[in-house]
Amino acid sequence: MANYLAQFQTIKSSRDHLVIAVEDVSDLWPTIKNGFEDRLPLKRASLNNKTRNPVSVENLPAEFILTTDARLRSRFPQEQSLFWFREPYATVILVTCEDLDEFKTILKPRLKLIVQNDEREWFIVFVSRAHPTNDQATKMAKKVYARLEVDFSSKKRERCCKYDIHGPEANFWEDLESKIVESIRNTLDKRVHFYEDEIRKLTEQRFMPIWNFCNFFILKESLAFIFEMAQLHEDALREYDELELCYLETANMTAKQRDFGGQDKGDDQAALLNPGNKPLTQIVQDDSFREFEFRQYLFACQSKLLFKLGRPYEVALRGYSFIISFSKTLAVYESILPFCMREVWVVTACSALIRATSSHYKDGSVSSEVEKEFYRLQGDLYSLCRIKFMRLAYLIGYGINIERSPVNSASLSMLPWPKPAIWPSLPPDASSEVLVKEKIILQASPRVKHFGIHRKQLPLEPSVLLREANRRRASLSAGNMFEIFDGRPGFVDGLGSDVSLKTSPSKKAPAAIMSRTNSSPGFESSIDRPMRLAEIYVAAEHALHNTISSPDLWKSFSSLEDFEEKYLELTKGAADNYHHSWWKRHGVVLDGEIAAVCFRHGNYDLAAKSYEKVCALYAGEGWHDLLAEVLPDLAECQKILDDQAGYLSSCVRLLSLEKGLFLTKERQAFQSEVVRLAHSEMKNPVPLDVSSLITFSGNSSPPLELCDGDPGTLSVTVWSDFPDDITLDSLNLTLMATNNADEGAKALKSSGAIILNPGRNTITLNLPPQKPGSYVLGVLTGQIGKLRFRSHGFSKVGPADSDDFMSYEKPTRPILKVSDPRPLVDLTASVSSALLINEPQWVGIIVRPIDYSLKGAVLHIDTGPGLKIEESYAIEMESFNHELQNTADIRKEDGAWEKDSSNNYHKNLEQLILRDDRIEFPEWASSMTSILWIPIRAISSELARGSSSVNPQKQSIVDGMRTIALKLEFGISCNQIFDRTIAVHFTNPFHVSTSVADKCNDGTLLLQVILQSQVNATLTIYDAWLDLQDGFAHIREDDGRPTLGFFPLIISPNTRGGILFSICTEKIVGDHMEARRESILNIKYGISGDRTIGAHPPVAGDSNRLGCDRRDLIFRSALSLQRPVLDPCLAVGFLPLPSSGLRVGQLVAIKWRIERLKDFEEIDTLQHHNDEVLYEVSANSVNWMIAGRKRGHVSLSPNQGSRIIISILCVPLVAGYVRPPQLGLPNIDKANISCNPAGPHLVCVLPPALSSSFCIPA
Amino acid sequence: MIVCVAVVGHQNNPLYIQSFTEADDALKLHHIVHCSLDVVDERVNNPKKSGPLLNETFLGLLYPTENYKVYGYLTNTKVKFILVTTDLDVKDADVRNFFRRFHAAYVDAVSNPFHVPGKKITSRTFAERVSTIVKAFGLSSAG
Repeated sequence: MANYLAQFQTIKSSRDHLVIAVEDVSDLWPTIKNGFEDRLPLKRASLNNKTRNPVSVENLPAEFILTTDARLRSRFPQEQSLFWFREPYATVILVTCEDLDEFKTILKPRLKLIVQNDEREWFIVFVSRAHPTNDQATKMAKKVYARLEVDFSSKKRERCCKYDIHGPEANFWEDLESKIVESIRNTLDKRVHFYEDEIRKLTEQRFMPIWNFCNFFILKESLAFIFEMAQLHEDALREYDELELCYLETANMTAKQRDFGGQDKGDDQAALLNPGNKPLTQIVQDDSFREFEFRQYLFACQSKLLFKLGRPYEVALRGYSFIISFSKTLAVYESILPFCMREVWVVTACSALIRATSSHYKDGSVSSEVEKEFYRLQGDLYSLCRIKFMRLAYLIGYGINIERSPVNSASLSMLPWPKPAIWPSLPPDASSEVLVKEKIILQASPRVKHFGIHRKQLPLEPSVLLREANRRRASLSAGNMFEIFDGRPGFVDGLGSDVSLKTSPSKKAPAAIMSRTNSSPGFESSIDRPMRLAEIYVAAEHALHNTISSPDLWKSFSSLEDFEEKYLELTKGAADNYHHSWWKRHGVVLDGEIAAVCFRHGNYDLAAKSYEKVCALYAGEGWHDLLAEVLPDLAECQKILDDQAGYLSSCVRLLSLEKGLFLTKERQAFQSEVVRLAHSEMKNPVPLDVSSLITFSGNSSPPLELCDGDPGTLSVTVWSDFPDDITLDSLNLTLMATNNADEGAKALKSSGAIILNPGRNTITLNLPPQKPGSYVLGVLTGQIGKLRFRSHGFSKVGPADSDDFMSYEKPTRPILKVSDPRPLVDLTASVSSALLINEPQWVGIIVRPIDYSLKGAVLHIDTGPGLKIEESYAIEMESFNHELQNTADIRKEDGAWEKDSSNNYHKNLEQLILRDDRIEFPEWASSMTSILWIPIRAISSELARGSSSVNPQKQSIVDGMRTIALKLEFGISCNQIFDRTIAVHFTNPFHVSTSVADKCNDGTLLLQVILQSQVNATLTIYDAWLDLQDGFAHIREDDGRPTLGFFPLIISPNTRGGILFSICTEKIVGDHMEARRESILNIKYGISGDRTIGAHPPVAGDSNRLGCDRRDLIFRSALSLQRPVLDPCLAVGFLPLPSSGLRVGQLVAIKWRIERLKDFEEIDTLQHHNDEVLYEVSANSVNWMIAGRKRGHVSLSPNQGSRIIISILCVPLVAGYVRPPQLGLPNIDKANISCNPAGPHLVCVLPPALSSSFCIPA
Repeated sequence: MIVCVAVVGHQNNPLYIQSFTEADDALKLHHIVHCSLDVVDERVNNPKKSGPLLNETFLGLLYPTENYKVYGYLTNTKVKFILVTTDLDVKDADVRNFFRRFHAAYVDAVSNPFHVPGKKITSRTFAERVSTIVKAFGLSSAG
């Protein structure tokens, strides 16, 4: 059967659609041909697929062929079954007949003969030529057709249809199509069934020796072809898949050594998409096919079907894995294939696949996931192609131009060298080419990166090519190999790259010398001499030229420019496709490769853009090692482009990379660039973010606490990651309030330039007064030269972790706390008890700092009225002992503290001078409670007044009150002010009250003077005398001093003492009345008191005098004595008021009775009308209305016992207790009037009785 | 031969990369590991594709290339383990086993109270343990 292969292929290629046979019985075809062929291809056909499920096929192509056509005739029956797929799928029998008899006699037998062949699917189209106007003919045609139906149609199947030439019936074409489709379906089922049976039979014999894959292939492909013709591509594809599976199985199974193929001219170009690349007959190998061609053929068939199915994605998917697996297969046969056949094949296969799939691919036709996947596959294909292309280029010496980047290294250094049986040897006439290559090798110098970064370059080769190539040369023994490595340590480890030969200048010289000697004529003929690198390149180039048949591909290797063009195309293709897929990292990394090429060609703009993308990728995810590889390149681009901002930020980024990635020297180079730029004239100065380099934090100690309004100094730790010292020309630090987000950040400025050492630095900043609240560090800004920088980098304790790349941790710990306003100091008077008035006294003011230093505090003293500072005396200040004691008690638990304080405590005493009402506090008083003694004198011109029962005196405490306004300025810059007005109470030493203790018969009065001590001090009375007023006289003719033995009289604080004076009344003579109306009590006394308690001896400016001599003080108090009523002449009595009481508005008669107690004999002369008495009623006009005479004379007999009643009508005006009207007798001395009974002080007046007339009815 | 193992944090930041090649070419392995994150991302972000793998920590073969294989493993905390090997016929079970042991070592390393989560693993013990595991893997696959 394999012999039919050629024929099979021819048939297959000549026919790709179904055939419908036309049996033209009545020669009708030419007339109706056009109408029929217009119906093709069949619009819609319902066919059954291999699993007998109905499938709707649209636009099924088919062709009508007359049975008399040569194409359907003259076939051998054997062929028919083998190539059954080309046989007609339906037979249309065209008949016409206008006469029943003719039908019966001629047509029917003939038709019977035709349809007796059951193999065929047939149906009859009766063509009616009758014109519709011709009733007769039409009727006849109908009759004949009815007959035809009866004879040929069965219940099961309609096999007839009628076609009117003059206007066919509406549903005729549908009818025809359905009949055709039905026939095709039946035929298809039958044939599929047949082939399946055949295939099954063959499959069963698979493990028998007679098994022939070619036969199986023909059957299988025939079936596939049948499906393909029926547009059932899915099924066709499945057949090919099965075929492939079967092939791989049998190919591996048979131990028979077969030709692999792939050695023909042009085989290097992959034919994986071109099924007709080679006739199958050429690749037949015994009972099977050559693997190289056949697998590509199968894949080509599959991909053709997949493209027809509109699935380019699947082609790419299958294609990629096919290429990978086929490449492995090629590796197995590498030794028999041409040099680098494998690589070339992969390159061409990838290119072809990319071309085909991308041209078939329509955007948006598939889901986005598939789309992404498709682009990823395209990227993979490009990538694979690129790798192999680079490998080939390396072999012919373009390796110098391949960037030794991680991506290239990863793909090339792990890709083994080609393994030809024998490494190609140098062609005889290639010495000039070798020289050229050698020159290139010698001229090439590895690019030194910017900043003088020098790194060992990544390998592009799996092992040393020189060794590998020489090893594979048949003639060279292993021993000879070492000759070339003699004295070159770079090769001893076997891992050094070829380039390492050239990188080091010291090694270059001997290599060059040796190369020259080796390349001298005469050596080329020597086979045993190991090949040099240039020779290897040239040999590979020649071998490759033989391998590569595609002129396009070869062109890419012909020159460096062409190589780079192709290289760029592949890299861009890969990158672009990866960008469309999920694999962004792949894309970006390849962008970096494009950038490298752009860079080399001076296209710095593009290079910088791409490098930036790569850097962003690596930096974003913290891949510092990789970033360190690219960033210097970016920096160099930026420098060349004069992109100062970018260059600066690149330098900063370089500096902030992990320290181990660069040498100190290199890092210093970065820094010097930053500093150089910072101090140069920048075109567009931009703030530079150095968050990763300069970080800052507060000190680890607790936050600085300040009181409201206080300035301070803030100490901040700044970490510098610069390798060297760096000078910051200015430095600002903002503080942010944690409690108040609205409040803008406050900036603190450093005073001058700051030099940061590498590592930890402590910087102190002046802190102006801040609002209360707690503050955290915000942002650090500053200037290096003309460059402004800022840093958000907040370091916790140590330097910023360089791998902590994504989170700038916000400082949470407050660095500064400004407390709410609170009392910082307290000023109080030290004593509350009274001081002596009119005497210089110490007033103590306790100054108590409340957790706040009073250093440099200044006190302003402003005394109020009636108070004067005794400026002749110094102000004293001493530590406040008592307070300290208290504090110690409170902190009892803190034993150490207590002990300390008690040991270190020294009583401080210092005299201060008051200047301009200000006192400056001494140093020692800044932190401890102290007391300030101010000599002061309260001035009062009033004489103290004594009191008696007759003349009670209300003592007002206000009288002795004086105020001192204090203003304390303190704080770090005297910013704090404390105002306090202190009240100081002054008093006389005694309060004097008098009473008549007894009245003797002889008219002597014992005047008791009671001295109430007013002060908190012991008073000693040394002497006391009384200057009496007129009308009184001492009994003895002295000044009434008590006996001398009586003194000194000591009066303890707040106690009383008394002195008795015996006095008598004296007649007042005339005008002296006015002279002295008050008696004066003089007391000479001393005081012994402590200023810390209260009143004390007056301030003595002269300390000498203080000690030796006491100064007696004089206290004077006025006393008002009243003469007693000794000889009453008249008695005035207030008569009782009516019992009904007083009521507002009611008249009441108020009566007084005046009675003469004795005669006015003595004073007759004085009084003109001794029988008349002048009276006067006085009343408050608000309370009383008086009816009658208020003042008048009444006659009263001068005889003793005569009496008279004065009655006055009054109306009380106000309810309540009111003072009643008083009766006075102006002409008579009060001393002569006795009030008996005494009038009431107050009387009760009731409110007026309710009057009904005021009641208004509701 | 395992040429590289890596731990990659949940933000795709490298936490630990150790190469086992003798040549000074760690950078290319960095590149391979970094690029393999594309595949991990794709698998994680495409639940449809990785349907059966959803609850599986072992991501399987990430990269089919001609010359090396990259395997991935994703912990519950989205930390990725990447393995690069030049063995082309590796059994999945071996790799699984390797990752299980590697995971245990990682858990021990990050349980160290002095380790800052999310920071690079600098523990020397971890490195030693990893190299032991890597060596053991070579033996088992060879056997």
